[in-house]
This record gives sequence, structure tokens and C-alpha cells, in this order.
Amino acid sequence: MTASGTPHQHPSLDDPRIMLDDQIGQFEAVPPYPPRTEREAEFYSLRDGEMFVNMGPQHPSTHGVLRVVLKLNGEQVVDLDPVLGYLHRGVEKLCENSDYHHIISQIDPLEYVSSLFMEWAPVMAFEKLLDVEVPRRAEYIRVLTGELLRVSSHVLYQGWMALDLGGLAPILYSFIERDEIVEMLAAVTGQRMLFNYFRIGGVNGDLNHEFMSRLGDWMSRAAKQHEANIGLLNENEIFVRRMRDIGRLDGATALRMGTSGPNLRASGVPFDVRRAHPYSVYPELEFDIPTRGGNGGGDSLDRYLLRLDEVSQSIRIIDQCLHNMPDGPIMARLPRLLRPRPGRAWAAVEAPRGLFGTYVISDGTDQPFRMKIHDPSFVNLQLVGLLMKNNLLADTMAVMASLDPVMGGIDK
Amino acid sequence: MTTVNRAWGHLSLRGKVIIPLLFLVLIVGPIVTILFANVVGPWLADLLGANPQIVRFVVAIGGVLLFSIPAAFIIIYMELKVIAFMNLRIGPDRVGPKGAFHSLVAGLKVLTKEDFTPTGADHIVFTWAPVLVFLTAVMTFLVIPFGPGLVGQDLNIGLLYLFAVGGMSVVGLLLAGWASFNKYSLLGGLRAAAQVVSYEIPLTLSVVGLILLAGTLSLNRIAEAQAGWFTDWYVFRQPLGALIFFIAATAEANRTPFDMAEADSEIVAGFATEYSGMRFGFLFFAEYVNVFIISALLVTLFFGAWNAPVDINSILALVGLSPIAVTLDPASLGVGPLFLMLVVPVVLTVIFAVPFYLARSTRPAWQALVLGFLLFILVAVGLLFLLAYIGWPWMAGLVWFMGKSFLFVYVFVWMRGTFPRVRIDQLMGFAWKWLLPAALLNLFVTAAAIIIVKS
Amino acid sequence: MSFIPGIGLVRGMSLTLRRFFQPKATIRWPEEKADVAPKFRGRLQLLYDEYGTLKCETCFQCAQACPIECIDMGGIDTKGRFHVHWGPPETYGERREESALRRSGRPVADPMYEHYESVDLVALDGILEAHDFDPKDMLAILEETQAAYGYLPVAALKHISRITGAWYATIYGTATYYRHLRLEPPAADTAAPAGEAQRGIEAGYRSALDAALGHVSGCPS
Repeated sequence: MTASGTPHQHPSLDDPRIMLDDQIGQFEAVPPYPPRTEREAEFYSLRDGEMFVNMGPQHPSTHGVLRVVLKLNGEQVVDLDPVLGYLHRGVEKLCENSDYHHIISQIDPLEYVSSLFMEWAPVMAFEKLLDVEVPRRAEYIRVLTGELLRVSSHVLYQGWMALDLGGLAPILYSFIERDEIVEMLAAVTGQRMLFNYFRIGGVNGDLNHEFMSRLGDWMSRAAKQHEANIGLLNENEIFVRRMRDIGRLDGATALRMGTSGPNLRASGVPFDVRRAHPYSVYPELEFDIPTRGGNGGGDSLDRYLLRLDEVSQSIRIIDQCLHNMPDGPIMARLPRLLRPRPGRAWAAVEAPRGLFGTYVISDGTDQPFRMKIHDPSFVNLQLVGLLMKNNLLADTMAVMASLDPVMGGIDK
Repeated sequence: MTTVNRAWGHLSLRGKVIIPLLFLVLIVGPIVTILFANVVGPWLADLLGANPQIVRFVVAIGGVLLFSIPAAFIIIYMELKVIAFMNLRIGPDRVGPKGAFHSLVAGLKVLTKEDFTPTGADHIVFTWAPVLVFLTAVMTFLVIPFGPGLVGQDLNIGLLYLFAVGGMSVVGLLLAGWASFNKYSLLGGLRAAAQVVSYEIPLTLSVVGLILLAGTLSLNRIAEAQAGWFTDWYVFRQPLGALIFFIAATAEANRTPFDMAEADSEIVAGFATEYSGMRFGFLFFAEYVNVFIISALLVTLFFGAWNAPVDINSILALVGLSPIAVTLDPASLGVGPLFLMLVVPVVLTVIFAVPFYLARSTRPAWQALVLGFLLFILVAVGLLFLLAYIGWPWMAGLVWFMGKSFLFVYVFVWMRGTFPRVRIDQLMGFAWKWLLPAALLNLFVTAAAIIIVKS
Repeated sequence: MSFIPGIGLVRGMSLTLRRFFQPKATIRWPEEKADVAPKFRGRLQLLYDEYGTLKCETCFQCAQACPIECIDMGGIDTKGRFHVHWGPPETYGERREESALRRSGRPVADPMYEHYESVDLVALDGILEAHDFDPKDMLAILEETQAAYGYLPVAALKHISRITGAWYATIYGTATYYRHLRLEPPAADTAAPAGEAQRGIEAGYRSALDAALGHVSGCPS
């Protein structure tokens, strides 16, 4: 069935600046073709008193270009359909046409907020294919920078969450703190956001004086800053009442939907990739896995508070890394042109949003045959439809923000 | 391209300003002056002299309108700067010194934007809805007492008029939301209407206790009743009423934490989504004028309007001095002051310039003189202001009223920078389940107290 | 939470009041600039290594990648290496008719401009004269050029750049932004526009659907 072409094609090809009379009202949320699946048929049929509202790709708080079609009954959301693909850049295809070294810079923009973890998983997969042993110092540096980035991502999440609920101040405070951490990482990696720092077999540059002095400064204030962050919004009645009992997710549903990361741990399931499938030097480090929402599952407030707990655990890990940092080389010696043996490898890391994994199929040439990316935000976003049934419109934003999606990873 | 066009294009900016100015001053100016002096002037004087009441009314309205726009500008600038400072950033600071002209330029920008109506929207209603909102906001200025004797129209049902007119804004909001032919706007408009309507009741009930105490609906007389020390202010006699009024007024003005109607992280701009250009400017300004109105109301009703916190005259009477009174009568002073007016500025400029000149060795003398002159102006204006404050009671009242109003505007802006938004059902629940019973409780207690005290 | 309802709100307000008086975190660029780590890779300048040698190897990769040929190689330093020029060639001391990239024989970013024919520029000179050589009228100039030539030839754009002084990149940007400006000559044969067949099919489908559903055509459902 190709008669209607692509949806929302502009009907008047002569002059795009003029909209004809019979085109008014046609730019609806409903696609112009009949429903193709059962879910579409159920979603796009309206009952009495319901209407579609399109929270379009351009929206101040859909965390990027996400389109959400809401079926509203007054203020109450009856059903919800996220439409993805507005940020699709063909990363997996790009990786198929890139050298193994090149892939690291291609895959950074997936979760641009915490891009070191995006580099970590493919690099681990390639190391498995190439049987490369990563020097211990490089592993410790990876863990150190990764946990720093986790702290910065969770602090930013705090501000984001408040912004979606209407508070204008906390996000700027979050950005000030994130700026500090990101400047620190710029001193060692050379970039503030898409770091391109990990290499197959190690990392790019060693820790230098600038980084260590900034890190020392930050660590001396980290605990107190964390206390202040906790107290910032926890006691605010408006904030708490907007988040309590909204979007309650229990552990069984979360596991069934494939959630991972803080969203899963806030539903009572203590699953963390760093402990369940240990990688790098995590077995040697001491840290706990905080869990919340044991009975009845976790609501948005639990998800918010859990990320704050994780920050204190990350600070603990950073401390241990600094104390136990071994000497040695930071990168294994590898040829420029890499041709791994034909085979498959899977590697997963605990990104701030969940389990981020890559499955690489190599065919012996210098470019991978296929690189499949499992992104945590993509899976977590599917929860929104489940959690949003029969809540109010304003709660959509609270729930979506509490799941902490990043559109780069969702659309790849 | 005609010759005139090309010549105009070759002028520099200075030329483009000077040539029309010359034309105006040398040719148009004298002609208009002669016309006015001989023909229009006397006719106008006769007309105005014959109808003083209408003149007063027109002047009052003109003053009100002319005041509302600069007030809105100042409040917008304050909001941007204060919220920025609370967010640890600098707000606008490029346009003018410290960004002071930012809101003026924003107003001009809003005037120059493209003026279109979305297809399918009801053109007439779309255009007139913002006008209605702005109108109801500005009409309330008429009864607010800015100082003793400085009130637009001293209606003896002033408070009732204010609430009635202010409540009409909900019609404007609804019309704006409906006429935009947009679901977001509709949602926003309905939310705004529900919110404003449900907070009207606690708002009006919270001041009924005060009306019982004061015995009048006229804002002027309520202000006069709070003369004296700050303990006479009604906030100490009606604390619950003041609190309820404060919360309900925040909701009436659609301010955070009750700004569901324009929640910009959910429904873009609510009922104002489809508006652009001056129509949006009207809605935008109406909101800020509303902020000023509610803080002015709060000050008038509960915080003493134009009364100073302390009564200087009673302090002086305690000490034994007579009350300060200054009669300004320049005509009786004679030739001496004229001479002084020529000599004193020059002398003081030089005297004030000396420290500037000495403080920095690289400063040229003319710069020091300019700075000295500016300092002299500052001191002279300060002294004149002090004289006016002591001599004219309306000046003192105006200063206190404005100061207190802007303090409360600061509080509203402070709240906006701090709090997240309250959800619509929580908002309405709060109004109907908490504020309304509290206002009724306040009313009953006040009425009972009055009966007990009287008997 | 707390016993007094509203105490959390007051705490929040006191925090923001405290922040009101704290020093601000804004860096007022361009008067103040942030300190950048020495390892920062985002600088728009050629870097020297620790021995003072220029790191640039003039591999032409950047010039090949730039879609508007804004980057070029030019000038030779004392060690025999080329320098990289960004922006219009007028700002650098030397100027040639053809850029080093084209002379080197490497592929150019936009293959449409690899070899462009010269056109008769008399009409273009007239248009430019009429607009007083003002680059601020660029849209009008381009529209009249398209009216004169049927499309916007590259040679015409380059001539406009040379005469008005506007950067070629800016003119290219203006020309590609508007849908009614064409950079290629119109098709020689008049084939029906792509949409015509589509609309016929679409109209047929829609009327069939309306007939099946019993709706009156033209109303949104």
C-alpha cells in the first residue's frame, strides 16, 4: 500500500508557503494511512470525549527530539504513544563502514551526556575479539573517569528533573557542578563533552597535573556538596508531592520490560552490571548497590533519591581508585590497522542510565560486519506508556524525566 | 532607484538623524508653534477650563496608562535580573548599563514582529482577547491609592470594583485559548480559567474580615486607617487573612508556583502559544501589570499603603521638638537665590571634581570636571528630593508605597525563581479544601471578635 | 518531612536568597575568557608541538572535506610546509585564480563545482549595477540572476562575490536556503513534476476510502 506516500508530506508542491483551505486540520496526530498493527488500531481510535494532543518533536521538555502522541480525556492521559526516529543518525551503519579505531568517535554521541560509557562497551568488545590485555593503570583510569562522569550525569539529572517540574533554579546549579567535572575531564581527555578518550587497549592520555589538581579540589568538597544537593529539593513540599506515588513501577514489570540501571534498582531489584557481570577492575573495588522501593515498587521520588545514593557510591569508588592507582603503561601496543579474527563478541557496561552493551560481529576485515547497540534509554522509554495510564498530563513530564532518557541513545 | 533614494542611502547614520531633525526644528517647529499659540491654544484652554472633572479623569487615565507600561518594563527587568542572580548567573547585561534597556528593547522587538493569525482561528476574537486581558489589568489601577490624594478615582466601592474588574480577565484568557484553534492553547486556557475562578473565592473572602474591621470598601480610606506606626497595619490584626490573600493573589496572577496556564515545560506557552508580536506583548505585559497590582493591593490592604513604618512626628513630640514642616515658597526669596543658582553649581562642581582628579594621576581634568558635575547633580537631586519628601506629604507617601510595592514584587519574583510548579488537581484541591475553609474561619473569628469587643 | 507545613518552601527560598548574594558563575565572554586546559582539542588554530614545530602536515583533508571550499592551503614557511588558510582568500596575502586544492588534483567536496563553465557576465554586471553593488540585497540580486540565466551558475556566484565583496560561502548559503533558487539548469525535457502522478493516486485512494466509509470528501475526519 503505497498510495498515500510518506505521512505529512506537504500536499501543495507549487508554493510551500501557502496552505489551502482543505488542508486545515489535516496536520493531526493521526497518520493518514489506516492502522497497520493492532496496537495502532487500538491507539488511534477515539472514544467519546477523547482527543489527541501531539507533544511534538520541538518541545521544551521532551529531553531531545521525541514526539509523544497523547490521547487525552480532559487532563487525564488515557494512552500514550512515543514516536521515535527524529534523531536517528544511522550510527550502527556508520560503524559498519568505519575502522575499529574510528568507531570510538562515531559512537560517542549516543548518550552525549555520559559518552565515556558509550566508548567503553565497544572497546571492551573489540578487546575481546583481539585478545588484547589492557594494562591495569588504563583500567583504573577508565573506572576513575567513568565514575566521575556518572556523578556529573546524575547531578545533571537532578536539575533536569526540577526543570521539567517547573523549578528554574536547580538546573543551573547542576550545570555549575557538571561544568566543574567536565572541565576536569577536559584536562585529561581534551574535550568537554564527546570525549573520544578510550582506545582499544587503553586510554589516550595519561593523567596530568592539571587533572589531578582539579580532582583534588573537587574531592575535598565532594561530600559536602553532595549533602547540599540532597537537601536542595528533598524537603520542598511541592516537589515531593509532584513526585510521590507517580509512576509506580514494581520489580516484576520492570524486569519483564527489560529495564536496567537506576530505574530497575529503584523498583527493588538489586541488579547492577558491575556486580552481576563484572568487568574491568570492579571486582577489586568496594561499593554497595543501593536499592529502593522494595515493597510495592518504586515511584518517581524513589528513582530520584536512588540516583543521589549512587552518587555517594561513585565518590567512594573514585576515592579508592585514587588511592590504588598502579603505575605502568596506559595503552597496549596495537597496530594501526586492526584485523581481528572473525567472530562475535558482546560487552556490556553499567552506564548511568542502565545496561549499555554492544554486540560486534567481525568478518576478519578492518571494518566490523555488524555492530548492534543495546541502549538503556531505548528500553527505559517504553516504560512511559505503561506508567502513564490514567495519570494527568503534568505527570507525563514527571514520569518521563524520572526515567532519565537521552534521545541520542534512543534514536541511535 | 531614484536619486533621492541613492542620496539617502549614502548618508551615514549621523546624517540620517541630523537632516530630518534640522527639517523638524527649523521648518516644522516654528509653524506648529505659531499655529498652536494663536489658534489651537486658546480654544483648548477654554474647553479644558469648562470641564474640570473630565479633565481630571482623562489625566488620571492617561497617568495610569503611562505608568503601567514603564512599571511592566521595570518588573520584567527585575524578574530577569533577580532570577538570574538567584541562579548564579548574570542576567541581561549588554543592552544599556547593566542591561537596563533590555525590556525596552524587548518591547520594541515585540512591536516589530510579524503579525499573523493562525489559519482557522477566529480572527476577531483572536485579536481582542489579549486586549481584554490587558484592559482588565490596567483598569484596576484606577482605584489604587499611590499616596495621600493620589488616587485615580476614590470610589467608595473601590475593593469591589477591583475584584470585579480583575475577575474579568478570566474571560480574556478563555477567549485567547479558544480562539487559537490549537489544542495546547485550549488546554492552557481551560486550566487558567479553572485556576482563576477557583482562587477568586478565597481571595475575596480573605479580605472580608479586613472590611469588617475597617468598615469601608474604599481603598483610600483603608489606607488612611493604617496611619501611624507599623503596628497599626492590618497584617498584625489579620495575619491569616494576609497569608490567604498572598497565596490566592499569586494564583490569580498566574505566577509560580501556580503558573499552570503558561507552564512552559508542558504545553509550550499555554493559551499564548499561537500569539506573536504585539498581541503576545499585550498578554505578556498584562501578566506583569497584574503582578504589580497584586503587590500594590497587598501593600494597600495589609501593609499600610503609603504610611511610613514609624511616625516621625510622634517621635519628635516625645523628644520635645515640634513637627517638621517645610513651606516651599520660592517667590518670596528675592534676587539672592538667582545669584546663588548661577554660582553654586560651578563652585560645587569644581569642589567635587578635586578628589576625582587627585585620586587617579592619569585622569584628565575635563573628565574630573564631568564626574564632579555628575556628583553635584546627584547631591542636588538628593537634597531636592529630601525637601520634597518633607514638604509634600504626597511625595513621602508615594515613595513609601512604591518601595513597599516593589519589595513585594521582589518577593513574587523570588518565589518564581525557587519553586517548581504545582499540578492542576493539587492546585484546585488546595484552593477548595484548604484556602476556602481557612478564609471562612478567618471571617468568623474576626466577626466574633468584633462582636465581643464591641459589647 | 517536617512538622511545620511549608518549612521546606521557606528553606528553599532562603537558599535562593543566599545564592542571590553569592558571586556569579558567568564568564562574560568576550571580555573574559575561560581557562582552557592545555590538552583541549577544540581550538580553531594550528598547534605547535613542544619543539615549536607546526603540527599541520598539509594533508589537504580539511580542504577536501569543506563543502564550500572555505579552507585552502597556501604560502610556504621556512621548512617548506604549506600554511592553512581559512575564509576568503582576500584576507591572506596571496590570491590565485584557482585554489591550491583544485590545482593539486584532489577531489573537491562538491562535485558539481569541480569544473564550471564560464557564462556571459554582461547581464550580471547590469544587475549588480542596478543594486549599487550592495551585498545586503543579495536575495534580490540572486533572484534577478536566476531570472536572467534560468538558474544560478557557479561562475555568476563567484563573480558576485568578487564584485560585492561578500564571501562566496555566504552567497552559497543564501542561494541554497531558498526553495525557489536553482543552482542547476532546469531539465531540458519537460517531464511532469514528481508529485503529479502521486496526487492522482492519492486522490483516487481517498475517494475510494470516502466512498467506503460514507464520508463527505473534504472534511477532516
